[in-house]
Amino acid sequence: MATYLIRRLLQGIIVLLAVSMVCFVMFRYTGDPVLMLAGKYATQEEREQVRVAYGLDRPVYVQYLSFLGGAVQGDFGKSYVSQISALRMILERFPATFELALVAISISFVLGVGLGVVVSIKPRGWLSRIIMAGSLFGISIPTFLIGILLVMAFSVYLGLMPSFGRGDTVQIGFWRTGLLTASGWYHIILPALTLSGYQLAVLIRLTRAGMRETLSEEYIKTAWAKGLAPHTVVLKHALRNVMIPIVTITGLSFGELIAFSIVTETIFQWPGMGNLLLTSIFETDHPVVVTYIMLAAFIILTINILVDVLYAFLNPRIRFD
Amino acid sequence: MMRKLFVVPLLTLALAALPALALAKAELVIATDAPPKSMNPHAYSSDANLSYMSNFFDGLLQRKAPEGALVPALATSWERVDDLTWKFDLREGVKFHNGNDFTSADVKFTFERMKDPKYSKLLNIANSIASIETPDDYTVIFTTVKPVPWFAETMHQNFIVDAESSADRDDGDYNTMPIGTGAYKLDEWVKGSYVRLIANPDYWEGAPTYQVVDMRPITEESTRFAALAGKQVDIVNGVPVNLYERVKAMDHVEVISQPARRAIYMDISNMADTPFADLRVRQAIAMAINEEEIIEKVMSGQATLAHQIPDPPTIGYDASIKRLDYDPEKAKQLLAEAGYPDGFPITIAGPNDRYVNDEKICEAVAKYLAKIGLDVTLDVKPKSIFFDELADKKHRFYLIGWFDGSFDFGRSAEKLLHTPDDAKGMGVYNGAVFSDAGIDEAIIASSSIIDRAEREAALQAINRQSVADVAWIPLHYQQDLFAVVKDKDITFMPRSDRWVVVKEIK
Repeated sequence: MATYLIRRLLQGIIVLLAVSMVCFVMFRYTGDPVLMLAGKYATQEEREQVRVAYGLDRPVYVQYLSFLGGAVQGDFGKSYVSQISALRMILERFPATFELALVAISISFVLGVGLGVVVSIKPRGWLSRIIMAGSLFGISIPTFLIGILLVMAFSVYLGLMPSFGRGDTVQIGFWRTGLLTASGWYHIILPALTLSGYQLAVLIRLTRAGMRETLSEEYIKTAWAKGLAPHTVVLKHALRNVMIPIVTITGLSFGELIAFSIVTETIFQWPGMGNLLLTSIFETDHPVVVTYIMLAAFIILTINILVDVLYAFLNPRIRFD
Repeated sequence: MMRKLFVVPLLTLALAALPALALAKAELVIATDAPPKSMNPHAYSSDANLSYMSNFFDGLLQRKAPEGALVPALATSWERVDDLTWKFDLREGVKFHNGNDFTSADVKFTFERMKDPKYSKLLNIANSIASIETPDDYTVIFTTVKPVPWFAETMHQNFIVDAESSADRDDGDYNTMPIGTGAYKLDEWVKGSYVRLIANPDYWEGAPTYQVVDMRPITEESTRFAALAGKQVDIVNGVPVNLYERVKAMDHVEVISQPARRAIYMDISNMADTPFADLRVRQAIAMAINEEEIIEKVMSGQATLAHQIPDPPTIGYDASIKRLDYDPEKAKQLLAEAGYPDGFPITIAGPNDRYVNDEKICEAVAKYLAKIGLDVTLDVKPKSIFFDELADKKHRFYLIGWFDGSFDFGRSAEKLLHTPDDAKGMGVYNGAVFSDAGIDEAIIASSSIIDRAEREAALQAINRQSVADVAWIPLHYQQDLFAVVKDKDITFMPRSDRWVVVKEIK
């Protein structure tokens, strides 16, 4: 187990290094930040002055090494645009994204597993057919379209839901939460639904497939024959055994939701990390972009390792040798 | 049991949070299309950021809606003493938000700090200053390195900071907490969500009308529209042009549409050994473009025909200038006369994420040029790459937009029209490389003219010549759209620079 963990951690560090290197190579082709930094009226000479002041006149590998040197000490540099620490800017936005992803993943998990079970019990019923058809939409409609449709329906036409923002928030220490106010919940519903769409559909299909396989096993037939109550058979005996892949997928997608909620955040003007990333790309604010991508990679790696470890606890048959 | 243990602290937290929620609600919610980048007033030169800053800070001068007339602010009067010398008399009795008195020392400190690229993106104006003298607390005398006739014209956007508190403040704090003399103080900046402004009761121009104001940046166009439809905002700065008809159809909203300052134009070269060196070729290209159709079809009517680059309030604007009429037959004839009866290959470059419908305008221009027999290649790309290529002078013919924050065509001409010369700081945006010795001389000569009327005449002459020589092909001025909710009795007069100066809203 320990050797396995160490190996995974080493792999993780190599991935992070590779990610950061790819970022630096990419930046060479995404435009020169100096043009933006020097301002609209700057002369060529002033542009050079800015280039030197920001250390952008140094060769790329020197810039990269100095970035790595800082990153090791937790200093990812300052945003070119705002001159605020890039990591601080992103972490300030983290709670909003985390809460959105958390609510979204909860919706996907509860509804996904619930509907999946319903569908597996009566696979040919009309309700099951509607749910399965709906899940096809969930998988195939892109997030931005779901978001825009929800806004059009619930905000513009019906006027029931707010179309953007987080509503009232409460600051607790470094964490600014919207989950403690009615307005916060009111504002999170549409974006969370949008974000949950794809995972919801995946979980319905996954649960259904697993349940249908399990329900045809001998021990389930035995359970029925023993005269156990239907909910005991379905939930206790069958669903438990289906949970392992479901938990894995849920865990993995949670990381992805945090890291890639960019589209949803943009549509709903959600003040999270994804929104910040998009603005920063637009402004060639390289320190923020690279820090975000590193952080996203870090979150996904961590969750992957955690899920792998959890596996061993959920299913004692799995061993890491 | 476990569940209960978890619920109790959560409830306590929620209750503890209640008083915080009872805080003042904003009386006015303004949606804008760009978030502030920093609360350091010199950190970013875009109008979107300056717009926020204008509420926390004052310049020596200010501009009034709608046309942008230059009037006193922290300075009560100003004078161009000679070619290089500018004298400002400062207002007495003004206090910063932290209680410090405003004096000439603050002005000196501000302009010296603006020279430091770490703090400032307004290097151009700061570096033009050779020395700053403060004979007493309420007089400042600037000496510039070379004649800068528009020096005072930029004083509405060089915001004055408090010398004493700024000098030793931590950078993080300096960039997030503004301390100015402005009509509003910053209450809270929740990044990505809103900026909350609280009225400054001691403001030198009198306390503003609204006490608590939220400015909400909504970058996504359709979200801005939905916010307006859902009645979540009172004023929208930047109604998406493509949704104009739909916003107009809303009963609860009044839409204000006015020509923007920004002119969209095709920049063109006259470089030797290219077809563009021949004036007839440049004229042919100008005549081939049916701009009225572009306005109608591409811009849905939301643009104003441009005959020249500067907009009417700019010094150097000349109402008598007329663009070449659309005439494809004449264009073909001119091409033939110039020795290109079968056309020649031409590349149309431009950004695709910078101006309203920029890519579609390029496509339209491509079609018009193909019609007069040119062999057209379209080369549009994201602005961050396009502007890079512009700096490298890669393109001979491209779409770009411009307006001058100083309302002075002299500065525009130095940047856009003068032959590129890095050593002199000229022609930075003359990416197509148009070069005319006569125009260059006239631009340099105009900067030493002190008499304003005389200088205006000189700039108008340059402007006329640039259009006659087809140094560029003006297309249109963009349109700015604003929306105001009707039933709240808000008096809002949009500014041509699109700044939201909240003290002007009654």
